Amino acid sequence: MLMRPFLDLQLGERIITLLAALVLVLQIAVVAQRWIVTHIRIFAIQSFLLAMIAATIAWFNHAPHIYIAAALTLVVKVILVPVFLERLVVRMEIREEIKPIINVPLSVVISGGLTLLGYVVAESFYHPDEASLGHNELAVAISLFLIGFFTMINRRKALTQVLALLSLENGLFLAAISLTYGMPLIVELGILFDVLVAAMVLGILVYRIRETFESMDVSRLRRLRG
Amino acid sequence: MLLFALLLIPIATAGASYFARCREQLERINLAGFGLVTLIAIALAAQVLARGTVSLANGFFYADALSALVILLTALVAMVCATYSIGYLRDDEQSGELGDDDSGKEQLAQLRMYYTLTPLFVFSMMFLAVANNLGVMWAAIEATTLVSVFLVTFYGKVTSLEAAWKYAIIGGVGLSMALFGTLVAYYAGHRLAGSDALAGLNWSVLAQHAELLDKTSMRLAFVLILMGYGTKAGLAPMHTWKPDAYGEAPVPSAAILSSAMLNCALYGLIRFYILTSRCLGAEYPSRLLLLFGLLSMGISVPFILVQKNYRRLLAYHTIDHAGIMVTALGVGGPLGALGLTLHMTFHTIAKSLLFLCAGNVRQHFKTDLFSEIKGSVIRVMPLTGVIFLMAMLAIIGMPPFSLFQSEFIIMRAAFDGGHFVTGILFVLFGTGVFAGALLHVGGMILGPKGKMPSAPRRPWRDGSLLALAAALVLIGFWLPAPLLELIRGAAKVVSGQ
Repeated sequence: MLMRPFLDLQLGERIITLLAALVLVLQIAVVAQRWIVTHIRIFAIQSFLLAMIAATIAWFNHAPHIYIAAALTLVVKVILVPVFLERLVVRMEIREEIKPIINVPLSVVISGGLTLLGYVVAESFYHPDEASLGHNELAVAISLFLIGFFTMINRRKALTQVLALLSLENGLFLAAISLTYGMPLIVELGILFDVLVAAMVLGILVYRIRETFESMDVSRLRRLRG
Repeated sequence: MLLFALLLIPIATAGASYFARCREQLERINLAGFGLVTLIAIALAAQVLARGTVSLANGFFYADALSALVILLTALVAMVCATYSIGYLRDDEQSGELGDDDSGKEQLAQLRMYYTLTPLFVFSMMFLAVANNLGVMWAAIEATTLVSVFLVTFYGKVTSLEAAWKYAIIGGVGLSMALFGTLVAYYAGHRLAGSDALAGLNWSVLAQHAELLDKTSMRLAFVLILMGYGTKAGLAPMHTWKPDAYGEAPVPSAAILSSAMLNCALYGLIRFYILTSRCLGAEYPSRLLLLFGLLSMGISVPFILVQKNYRRLLAYHTIDHAGIMVTALGVGGPLGALGLTLHMTFHTIAKSLLFLCAGNVRQHFKTDLFSEIKGSVIRVMPLTGVIFLMAMLAIIGMPPFSLFQSEFIIMRAAFDGGHFVTGILFVLFGTGVFAGALLHVGGMILGPKGKMPSAPRRPWRDGSLLALAAALVLIGFWLPAPLLELIRGAAKVVSGQ
């Protein structure tokens, strides 16, 4: 009787670690690839995996409110935001590929280094005495956050920066479920609403910048100085 | 009930504006809405003074003296700006800034956007000030950015798109750090009883048990929050969006951004400062705050000295004052906290007044550059010129104006607390700003009359200028007793007595 929940938790931990590893691989794949549409799809898959992680945690910890967070993530970040962004890409007829400042092999190496950094930071939160699912996941979450920052600096295309910003938020979502099994539901709701609105506001802004400058290269936005 | 009405009325105003059919309706709806909001803010302040704290819906909404002060200042600025923008936008419409559609549809769409987004902007500021839950507060701060992005792109120029892009992206990155900080703070309290529920992230609950929070986590949380809400407040080195956004937004929106919005960002920071200083002692947050505060003051000096554009000059001034307020928070203690809340009040009045003056000058001279104005504002538009110069003297801390008092209190608190380097740098940077601002603005306003024709009378705009200027002069000599009590109460919340 005593062993069963323990085994369950161990199984849960394994599933979640596997999913989190996939999330991390996808984030590094973003750094390695060059097409905006691929980037959007990777973001959608990554969000889907996050929703799965949330659902797994809800299942093994008998915390029904996390299901709602998972379902909302599914609706907003797997369906609404990617569909909106893909339609934007079609409307703007973007064909050019993204030219990163640092080349791809070096970027991947840097992402590896950032992952390592994520693990070092996450170590300080580890309490071995507590039954917690959160150890690996927090490290992955911090790595997502850092790699998201790096992508933002490395790619100067407006839409890529929007996607990088959204992946920062994905990192935060993972951190939230691994540290505290999610924020209170109303907070989660507020955050997702903001993510949705932010994606739309930034999307419209990107569209208008593209129309005015005939480019999405944000390094051309340099009239305002001093 | 008051808290509820405070949130409901701006939303209703925005809704009504969205469906309004002509300019007059939009103007009336906004005036009425913000008038009501101001009355409610005053009533709320009175209630907070009488009872200490007000809360609603099981503590989901919560207001103490600090929230009441921020709400009151926001409501006052919004009210004055609503009055001002009537004249301002009519002028823009006549001079074709809103588009040159003969049927007037394009112009009406622009007006509708302005009059709908502004109440929404005010709504999100009110919401963040009464939200007890720190996560909800974060969501409200993020909402202020999202709502105001399209106020920055209002004129649809190339430069305003660039400004809005910087504002949205830098703000977005900053706020994602703040969300991380909020999350870590939630984690820091996860071993407290009842932390799973919604109340686990309530500020009032966390503040009561601050000593029990996990110390390592709170350290990390405070750094992240300082970076995050510091970006929103425009602290150096995350300040780069500020001059662009303030320089491109319509002037009444810039006035709200630079005074009320700044207060709100600082409000978020202060809430976390209180938690952190109770958990770890005041020294840890204080060192970080002094670093960022002095850096912001220092960075603004050279930019003010070489500035060519008067709206950007005002923006760098706001960076300087954000630095002053954060320094005051870092100095801490009862005196530092009092300096902070006084300065917040005085700065709000003086800075919004300055932006409104700049709007008058801009609409008459059609330029933002000092070099093209070459003096004579005081001859061409006497009232604006006099008030502009007076407000400028006030904001750089000339006695007898009130900002001198608050800056003096902050300086005294710094020396009393043994922060000698801080005190000396404070005076040094203050002198730099003083020289730069007076040189530019003095040169722009004074001087012989050029070829510009005299400005016509502008009842809406001049009326709101006069009201604010009267308030600025008055508070230099006499603070009404209830207001002073509210400011003192807010300072007590900050210093945790």
